[in-house]
Amino acid sequence: MPTVSVKWQKETFPGIEIDTSQPPTVFKTQLYTLTGVPPERQKIMVKGGILKDDADWSTLGVKEGQKLMMIGTADEIVKAPEKGPVFVEDLPEEEQAVALGHSAGLYNLGNTCYMNSTLQCLHSVPELKSALLSYSDNVRGNAVDQASHNLTVATRNTFGELDQSVRPVAPLLFLQTLRKKYPQFAQQQNNVYMQQDAEECWTQLVYTLSQTLTSETSEPLTGPMKELFGIDLVSRVHCAESGEESLERESVYSLKCHISHDVNHLHEGLKHGLKSELEKASPSLGRTALYTREYLTVQFVRFFWKRESNQKAKILRKVDYPLELDVYDFCSDELKQKLQAPRQMLRDVENAKFGLKTQAKASSSKENEGSSTDSSVPKKQLTGIYDLIAVLTHKGRSADSGHYVGWVKQDDGKWIEFDDDNPSIRKEEEILKLSGGGDWHMAYICLYKARVI
Amino acid sequence: MSPPENPNGAGPAAPSDPAQPSQPQPPAKSKGKKKDEKKDDDLSEEDLALKEQLELYVVRAQDADPGVQKLALESMRNLAGEIAQEFQKRQDDDMPIDALMELVQQIVSFHMKHNAEPEAVDLLMEVEDLDLLVEHVDSTNYKRTCLYLTSSSRYLPAPDDMLALDIAYTIYMKFEDHTNALRIALLLDNKSMQYVKQVYTGTDDLSKKKQFSFMIARHGLPMEIDDDIATDDNDREILQELVNNTKLSEGYLTLARDIEVMEAKSPEDIYKVHLIDGRGASSSLDSARQNLAATFVNAFVNAGFGQDKLMTAPSDSSSSGASGNWLFKNKEHGKASAAASLGMILLWDTDSGLAQLDKYLHSNDAHVVAGALLGIGIVTCGVKNDCDPALAILMEYVNKDDTNIRIGAILGLGIAYAGSQKEELKTYLSTVLGDNQSTLEILIFSAISLGLVFVGSCNEEIAQSIILALMERSETDLAEPIIRLLPVALGLLYLGKQESVEATAEVSKTFDEKIRKYCDVTLMSLAYAGTGNVLKVQKLLGICSQHLEKGETHQGPAVLGIALIAMAEELGAEMAVRSLERLLQYGEQNIRRAVPLALGILCISNPKVNVMDTLSRLSHDADADVSMAAIISLGLIGAGTNNARIAGMLRNLSSYYYKEAAHLFCVRIAQGLVHLGKGLLTLSPYHSDRFLLSPMALGGLVTVLHACLDMKSTILGKYHYILYIIVLAMQPRMLLTVDEDLKPLPVPVRVGQAVDVVGQAGRPKTITGFQTHSTPVLLAAGERAELATEKYIPLSSVLEGFVILKKNPEYNE
Repeated sequence: MPTVSVKWQKETFPGIEIDTSQPPTVFKTQLYTLTGVPPERQKIMVKGGILKDDADWSTLGVKEGQKLMMIGTADEIVKAPEKGPVFVEDLPEEEQAVALGHSAGLYNLGNTCYMNSTLQCLHSVPELKSALLSYSDNVRGNAVDQASHNLTVATRNTFGELDQSVRPVAPLLFLQTLRKKYPQFAQQQNNVYMQQDAEECWTQLVYTLSQTLTSETSEPLTGPMKELFGIDLVSRVHCAESGEESLERESVYSLKCHISHDVNHLHEGLKHGLKSELEKASPSLGRTALYTREYLTVQFVRFFWKRESNQKAKILRKVDYPLELDVYDFCSDELKQKLQAPRQMLRDVENAKFGLKTQAKASSSKENEGSSTDSSVPKKQLTGIYDLIAVLTHKGRSADSGHYVGWVKQDDGKWIEFDDDNPSIRKEEEILKLSGGGDWHMAYICLYKARVI
Repeated sequence: MSPPENPNGAGPAAPSDPAQPSQPQPPAKSKGKKKDEKKDDDLSEEDLALKEQLELYVVRAQDADPGVQKLALESMRNLAGEIAQEFQKRQDDDMPIDALMELVQQIVSFHMKHNAEPEAVDLLMEVEDLDLLVEHVDSTNYKRTCLYLTSSSRYLPAPDDMLALDIAYTIYMKFEDHTNALRIALLLDNKSMQYVKQVYTGTDDLSKKKQFSFMIARHGLPMEIDDDIATDDNDREILQELVNNTKLSEGYLTLARDIEVMEAKSPEDIYKVHLIDGRGASSSLDSARQNLAATFVNAFVNAGFGQDKLMTAPSDSSSSGASGNWLFKNKEHGKASAAASLGMILLWDTDSGLAQLDKYLHSNDAHVVAGALLGIGIVTCGVKNDCDPALAILMEYVNKDDTNIRIGAILGLGIAYAGSQKEELKTYLSTVLGDNQSTLEILIFSAISLGLVFVGSCNEEIAQSIILALMERSETDLAEPIIRLLPVALGLLYLGKQESVEATAEVSKTFDEKIRKYCDVTLMSLAYAGTGNVLKVQKLLGICSQHLEKGETHQGPAVLGIALIAMAEELGAEMAVRSLERLLQYGEQNIRRAVPLALGILCISNPKVNVMDTLSRLSHDADADVSMAAIISLGLIGAGTNNARIAGMLRNLSSYYYKEAAHLFCVRIAQGLVHLGKGLLTLSPYHSDRFLLSPMALGGLVTVLHACLDMKSTILGKYHYILYIIVLAMQPRMLLTVDEDLKPLPVPVRVGQAVDVVGQAGRPKTITGFQTHSTPVLLAAGERAELATEKYIPLSSVLEGFVILKKNPEYNE
């Protein structure tokens, strides 16, 4: 009976006697008592492979003092979990889009980047999307012509496709209906569709939508588009000579930021645009105040008609714009008062964030009374502070050439550059660098969303 | 053979005594004259003139005036040149050369006495009589002589280089510089075993023998310590253990503990997403591709540490805990790679490795079993065991029914026994290869395994069976992209064996047209890999300059071949980098795709800035294959370096390509490679001061690179586990000093940039810009270490890997 030593993992068991007259199972049981590894899971290395249960000791030639090696554990055997993980690769396409974190790009159908960027920017407005969704195919208001209706439907469908696809979408139908409704976009040069002004596209589209998207009862002027994008301008016309004063009201969908030599910042540009002391015959246009809604569109007036070259020339001047725009200064006094309470609340919330609680408590309790009396105001209150959510930029020297790109902020705070069919992730700093002053992309239209409380 | 003993004695006797310049002059002259007269008859006029010149120079060289001395020495060099020319002429005309040889004798001995070993060696090489050198070297100059011999051998044509190395070996043995002799013995692979044994028997010192064993283990030479080497049973056992590389895991962990990097790292620690702006955690869903990438990153980063955060984590108590979870977060064949990653994590630690992998063998999921088998192969990679547990276990599974399990077992065997040339494996795997029932993938993986096991063996039998398998493939099989690994397997058999490949290359010309050229180029590039053969590089460049029309693919291996051949020495490598730059500009797409990989192997684990910039540029290339190859290559050149610049580049790439799943996968793999073994490992197949080339390591790299030539169908497809073959090239880049009982012994060492001291007189500094550290230390590419204390004497001349230190008897505090 030879005595062997068995090595198991890092341990060695010396002096184990092998009863060569017995089958190897007996030896395995011996090892079982030592290591706790059940015999069926023991692998013992002998000459020529693993020791089989029916092997004959005599043929294996085990020598006295030989070192054997045993492999095996009493560990539990790994089992697959009952519910396996779900892999992104297995999901249908729509769900992959959700996992991707942003929507798809749009194919350029031949100088249509102006349209693509406009669509992408407007697509970032969820309220618009939901308004479009409720727009039905066949019901058409009396005041709406067929082309506008078609355009609205096309917009709705394109937005739907964008949401569902991971791959870029080709907005063919939308382009057709757009050109049908506004033939100027079908202008051709050398048999190629020309590049168009994105601002024009934006304005027309918003206008059309404001016409078509009406709540059943109301007239177009109070439709959802107006609720979302409308800006009321109140102009105080003041005659310097007579001292007469009159108020004029108008409603627009975007604010203009005029760019002159002394405008370095959006704020100044807006002020400039609102004041515009046009010395007409006698009545001079005085200070204009505004009343804003949930979204605020700011257009940089970067293009002017150059008569000598017969084209729209571009102002390359750098005009900074903030990620957070406060329009309090521009508001009408009436609105200012309305804004007071929510702004205070917002400030309190922010202060609370910074740990300035004591002061906040006293003031907020007072303000709460004030706001509760103002029961007509719905739950969401405007604060006059707006956050940048989308930028439409232009690169190139004239409005009808160059390249348009849309930059859209996502819910999780990251920015996506929608360069036609190729969306890519951008940083916030890069967005602020689009302020002009060079040949890089510069902001043309900024879309701000109100911060509500 | 050496009759002119007298001039030998006379010549150097005089100049060796420069202290007395005037006196020895007359005797030297008269002695020489005497002989002149004696032999005047058989000397031609030309010879006489040469001889007279020589004597004049010898006399002048001893002149008191240093100006005259200098002039004489310079003229002597001219004379040597003339003699070399004359020798050539006479050989061509079949004229007697005895008289010339006599002059040579004198010049050589003069040079050797005057610190001009390179000149002496050059002259002897010219007259093709290096043997003479052995008599002329002494203990003061043998090191420089041998250094010059060995480094010039890289530039010599085929038989001469072996001869030069042989002489160097003889000289080292003569002066009992055994470790250096061993290095040469390992380089001369056809005579390795015989010479290695001579080295062992040349000393009785057990510590020295241990040091030899460490060096052999590092090189990966399979060897059995027999009675001749060590008579004592215990000694033999210790030596065999060292040769089997069983200390590697222990040493590596000692290093890791000393550098304090034991803590396991998760893939997220490597990705460092928080440093990338604009993108947070994107999705809560698992992506199979990304999980697979994480599996590889985890395996590479924690390689050899025995612990990680995905596979081993707190699972030991309840086995179906964390590890099971991660395993099943991979899809299908991804599970194989996940199970195999455990082998990588427990690399070299066979005892616990096999134990931990065991439980996966009992799984009812074929992919898991396949992965566990592959893992067993990986764990035992480079570590041998007398019981051969890997062989015993894997053999059980080679003939199972499931294809995946078979591949796992076959590839596991290939990795575990790479370079071992085990006969059992030949029979087993050849049968698989010859079996008509085997599917194409099984066939290919058994061929690759055979190639790895018998790397550089020139084994005709195996070559035959692979050739046969190739010939029997049908048209459709030959169109499969993975077929490209069959020629590679064939080439592995002849890795670095130069002309030996020719017979097989001839046979390959009869192959099907589809594979013929591919096979031809692959065979040539592998046979000359690591030789620096300029002619072959030119030939391959020629192949790359052709414009192909029929969509042939053999230019990819040609480009890789350029790198494989040129990587042998620094100068050639630099030239190859420039040639590749050219190919990039003017080459066609299939060439451009291979260029990044070629750059990757040229500078493997050696992040040179210019190469890094080129690859960074290519990583944004419009062609997806080029950019993916460049990304992988960024990982290869930075492998195991933790290079911050490459890490930064890869981070940016990961956000740039966040949408392209394939690119992102490559970026992740590259990130894993850069942090290979948390920066303690290298992939370079060269070691021992860039002198020796480990054939297994090179074989592993070549296989992976060839697979990367078509990433879409290999590592991006379902054969991603090919990536694990890279384990063959993984080695700690450490210097670990131990005492004679093999216990770690911290000593101060200077680590600095290696300086080329070939051909320099005296004892020049071998490193520059050094810092002093305490061992164990890491050595980067191109770095060298030297002991900063006189207290100990290292038993190895090259301070790399394990080095045994002996107390210096002459040292006093």
